[in-house]
Amino acid sequence: MPEHVEVTINVNGRDYRRTVEARLHLADFLRHELGLTGTHVGCEQGVCGNCTVLVDGQAIKSCLMFTAQADGQRVTTVESMADDDELHPLQQAFKDAHALQCGYCTPGFLMAATAIAAEGRRLSRDEIREQLAGVICRCTGYSNIVTAVERYLDDVCGVERIDG
Amino acid sequence: MKSAPFSYERPESVQQALEILDQHGGMARILAGGQSLAPMLQMRLMQLSAVVDINRLPGLDEIRAEGGVTAFGPLVRYAAIARSPLVSERLPLLGHVVRYVGDPQVRNRGTLAGSLAQADPTGEMPVACLALDATIVASSVSGAREIGIDEFLVGSYATALEPEEMLTEVRFPVVPDSFVFLERNRKHNDFAVINIAVVGRRGSGGSWSALRIALGGVNDRAVLAAGAAQLLEGSTLEDDRIEQAAQSALEVVDPPSDVRGSAEYRLHLVPVYVRRALSMLRDGTEGGYA
Repeated sequence: MPEHVEVTINVNGRDYRRTVEARLHLADFLRHELGLTGTHVGCEQGVCGNCTVLVDGQAIKSCLMFTAQADGQRVTTVESMADDDELHPLQQAFKDAHALQCGYCTPGFLMAATAIAAEGRRLSRDEIREQLAGVICRCTGYSNIVTAVERYLDDVCGVERIDG
Repeated sequence: MKSAPFSYERPESVQQALEILDQHGGMARILAGGQSLAPMLQMRLMQLSAVVDINRLPGLDEIRAEGGVTAFGPLVRYAAIARSPLVSERLPLLGHVVRYVGDPQVRNRGTLAGSLAQADPTGEMPVACLALDATIVASSVSGAREIGIDEFLVGSYATALEPEEMLTEVRFPVVPDSFVFLERNRKHNDFAVINIAVVGRRGSGGSWSALRIALGGVNDRAVLAAGAAQLLEGSTLEDDRIEQAAQSALEVVDPPSDVRGSAEYRLHLVPVYVRRALSMLRDGTEGGYA
């Protein structure tokens, strides 16, 4: 009975080979097996989105994916962003817009926003809200988070913003 | 919470997946998107001996058009439905309704087939599939059978699928081109208090046919208001006929009281939403959160 599964998972550009319990979800794998504690666990039932990471470039809730499913795949976490002490421009945008208070949800928002930015399209505030709806913040009230993402999309898409 | 232990199986074929389901005698489940299965396991609402991961099986994520039939494999995810030109051409209601499911992360993973197997009484997919008269293909080691969606949905989180069966396809016939979908939530992305899908075909003389009215959140499963639709067949959806249908729809509901709304509130909403949806269908207004 394969209650344990051997996996090789590429996380932030590095391959990790581990033998894990079949029931171990990806968020716990990242935190407990790899020590990558930037991915936060809130509800473990797919509601809060704080554990959002990218798997092969797609935003997913890592508490709802078993580690065995990510075998052979490419996982990107919040640890991929900053370069030592230098924040990634998206993180800087969050800082500049005061888009975090306690910071617990921030990694989830950063990864969800990374997936949005990868689409290469500027979005209206309403569209940004819809795209970020899978992550819950209990401190800031979202407005500044939307502003941070909006400014970042303006920067990376390199065009003047049109209010929509 | 963490799931109880289970074994992880990664079959090489659908046949092998069916054999594993059979060997576990009802204690194994198919893992497709996992957006319902993983929470069920982690809340310990379900304990399994094995999880059968079909995510690497080729071809199961295809949407096929064969004559009048549009068929979805068990790995067709909401995000794929939302961007499929085939769906927007042949099943525009389905393409519209997926946007109400979960959130972007859930839609990246979750599947149409998984939602039907979960049979959440407030789920959007069962309501849409009832309105669109879907057929479910259930396969096991002893063969495949087809189940109409109305027989497939048995009750709250209960379907006609046997534990040793796998939902291998969802099929749709040619459907009427006009539709309205409405949903009421307490807050964005929450489970629905009520949702409704209506479809119909408007003839050249302005009279309506092929009407179907499906309601979610107001019984232990999504329900079809067949009597109400029958009352409207051949009409031009005049206000008084719509009012009759709205009252008739009450015959098929038996709403629960829960944290999202009382039975009384839902009973109040049923005729309101039937009336609203049918008027919008007649007037060509697009649905939405209401």
